[in-house]
Formats: sequence, C-alpha cells, structure tokens
Amino acid sequence: MAALIPMLRRIVGARVGQHPAAEDLVQETLARVLAAKDRIEPGMIEPYAITTVRNLVATMWRSGDREQRNRHRLHDPNEPRDIEESVVATEEQSAITEALGRLTEREREVLLAHEVSGRDTRSLADETGSTAGAVAAQLKRTRARLRVEYLLALEKVEPPTDRCRPVLLALSSADRRRQRELDAPRHLLECDLCARLSAPLLGRGPTREDEVHVPITSDPDIVAARQAARELAVRAGFSGTDLTLLATAVSEVARNIVKFATSGDVTIELLDQPQPGIRVVARDTGPGIPDVGRALEDGFSTAEGLGLGLPGARRLMDEFSIVSEQGRGTTVSMTKWFDKKG
Amino acid sequence: MSTGPALVSILRQGDTLVASIHTALDDSEMIRFQNDLVHQIGEHRARGVIIDVAALDVLDSFGSRTLRTIADMARLRGATTVIVGIQPDVAYAMVQLGMGRVGAHTALDLEEGLAYLSSMRNGRHKAAP
Ligand SMILES: [Zn+2]
Repeated sequence: MAALIPMLRRIVGARVGQHPAAEDLVQETLARVLAAKDRIEPGMIEPYAITTVRNLVATMWRSGDREQRNRHRLHDPNEPRDIEESVVATEEQSAITEALGRLTEREREVLLAHEVSGRDTRSLADETGSTAGAVAAQLKRTRARLRVEYLLALEKVEPPTDRCRPVLLALSSADRRRQRELDAPRHLLECDLCARLSAPLLGRGPTREDEVHVPITSDPDIVAARQAARELAVRAGFSGTDLTLLATAVSEVARNIVKFATSGDVTIELLDQPQPGIRVVARDTGPGIPDVGRALEDGFSTAEGLGLGLPGARRLMDEFSIVSEQGRGTTVSMTKWFDKKG
Repeated sequence: MSTGPALVSILRQGDTLVASIHTALDDSEMIRFQNDLVHQIGEHRARGVIIDVAALDVLDSFGSRTLRTIADMARLRGATTVIVGIQPDVAYAMVQLGMGRVGAHTALDLEEGLAYLSSMRNGRHKAAP
C-alpha cells in the first residue's frame, strides 16, 4: 500500500498540480483501495488504485472544488444532480469513513500504520510486546470487521438481531469454525439483511472445492441437490453403491424442504476426519416437526400421509440427527463414511 | 416433453406401450410422465406396459411411489406393467428406503420385459401381484 503513494502523488500532481486538495485525493484513494483490498486480485491493486484516483480527480473537476461533498449534503440547488457517478462515489466514501470510525482506536491505528504507512507486522509487534503472528491475525480480524461495517454503512442499516454482526464477521473472516458455532447458514436463511450482505462477503474468497451449497425452493432443486452431492463425492474419489445411497438420502431430505417449508438449503461437505466422508446438512425455515421421534418411526409417515422419508434417509446414511423447533424450522444433519477410496 | 430433448418417450408396439425415462426427472416431470402414460394406456387399450428406468441413477420414495401408482392404475385398466432396467445400486437403495415393492413385475432389461409380457399373454404366468 505504501508503495502506491509516490505513484498516486505523481498522478494527482500531473492533473491538479499544487492544488490544496492533492494530498486529500491521495489519502482518499488509499482509503478506498484499503476497503476494497480483499476483493481485488493482488496484481490488480495498482490498476485499481490508478483508476480510482483518476475518477476522483475527474469527479473533483466536475464538481468544481473539493467542497462538493459538503455542498451535496446541503442539497445546494446549484449542485449538478445528474452526475450519478459522483453520488455513488460520495456514498462509498462516506461508508468507508463511517466504517473506519466504527473500529476501535487501536484497531484503526494498527490498520492504518500497516496499510498506509507501510509498517510491517514485526515492528508493530515490537512496539506492543506482541508477536508478528498475533499482529497479522489482528489485522486480518480488523479487515474482516471493516468489510462488514462498510457494507452496513453503505446500506445505512443497523442489523436487526444481536446475531447479525457475529455471523457477518464469521463470514467476512472465512472462519468456518465460528460459522458453525453460530449456525451461520441457518441465520442466513432467517435474516434477509445478512443473506443479502453475505453475497459480497463470500464472493471475495476462492470458491471452496470441498463444499457445495444448494438453495432449495422447488422441485428441480431436489434433483440439483442430489446431483451436487454425487458429483462432490465422485470428485473426492468415492465410488460404489454408497454414492447412490447418498444421492437418494439427499433427495429425501431436500424434498422435505420443498414439501413442508417455504425455503431452505442443503449443504454438502467433504470430511476427512476421523475418516473420509460426506456430511449433508438440510436446513429449512418451515413450521418444524412437532414430534421428531414419531417422524423417525417407520410407518408414521405413511399413516399420517406426511411422507417425510426420514426413516428411509436415516437407514441410507451412517449418521443422522435432526433438530426441529416449532415455528422456526428443521435441521437434518447426516453423514456417510466411505472406508475405501476408489 | 414439448421442447428441448425429450425427457421421456412412449412408443406403441401392438398392444404394448414401451415408456423410457431418458434422464433424471423432478417431481413435476415425474407426475406429468405418469399422467401421459396412464392416458395412453387408456387411449390405446394397452395390455402391457414396459417402463424402462435404466437411465435413472436414483429412485427415491417419490419416484418409487409414482411407479407403483402407474402400475396400480394400469392394472385397473387391465394392463400389466413391467419395470425394467433398475440398476443394482438403485435397487439396493430402494430396499433400504423401504420402497422395495414397486407393485409391478420387474425384469433386467427390455428384452426380458417383452418376453414376460408375451408369456403372460400366452397364459404361462399368473398376473403380477
Ligand atoms: Zn442477520
């Protein structure tokens, strides 16, 4: 990041000369690059910075001077309202400023020292008697938090529940253990805001090779879910009858979602501990199953005409558990262990 | 069954209908297949129905139940149903699911299915359960 500064000063200098806003433009560009850093390919940071600084300079010229942002807030009738781009840029900028403001002073200090002033983790660690590794981990958490706060500020919303921020943070930091502790996938089913924000948060990381996520809302999704499970298993080198048993069980639990809940999803995940296997978690936001014990008894389903298919799915898999809460939904977790590969 | 590559086909051969499922069907497509087939059984006064499911890699509870419904309805119309081509893995999964009885005779492949139907016609077998 620090290496960008001389280049940015050159670009700004060439366009605005000794304009009093020159240094502000450089700093503003850095703030934007910083906020977008994790969404940009490493090799693209420089071009991104160049594009950003050019846009900022252009916006400044168009608006006349750097007071543009403030005049904008006052709805000055002389303000050129047709410059959509500058409005968007202004909103992004104030979201970044606000997000930075929501960090603790210490978080902000360390982040800016590292990203803008180019201090390395070692020297930052020495300063506080910490270790470089701990500082790096802290920076990672801070960036994750900045991304979450940036998105919230951009949408101008406060999360509706206490769970939202922790869930978003776990997604932003790609902390799978924490995501599991918080049952993040279920929260995303239940919370529209987090579901919406999860897309940009998850979109940045590389797509996971060992996990598939299939949203379930209608018939064709049942087929999609069971095919996804089979494909993941085949890719992992599994073969044989177990593939069919797995696909059939996924079909049953996915159908439950379509039939008894408005929406849900199926997550299929490769396991390697304590042995190779596949875990399937089917979650829905349906009415819940009043008597899980009975739903698992053979014959119950046909007698009641419910056709839950749960006893069958349980027999097809090696492990099976179900949690259902009335009015909130049902989560079925099941695992198939594969002893032999290939 | 209207646009794109056919998901299923139903061919008539004398008084026998040969229905093949060419790809995985979702539940609505399965129901449409059932309705089409039952309709054609009536229309053509079919005496024998062969359903070829060799292309299916899964026959879950819904698929199995639909086959059973087709066989039941065919029987009520005086036709015998033979289901052919159930893959060994699929058969095993159906049994585990508790859907082992499809309510129709089963045969390894189309040829065996046709042979069964003709032997039925010649009175060498009793009707399937
Ligand atoms: Zn939320």
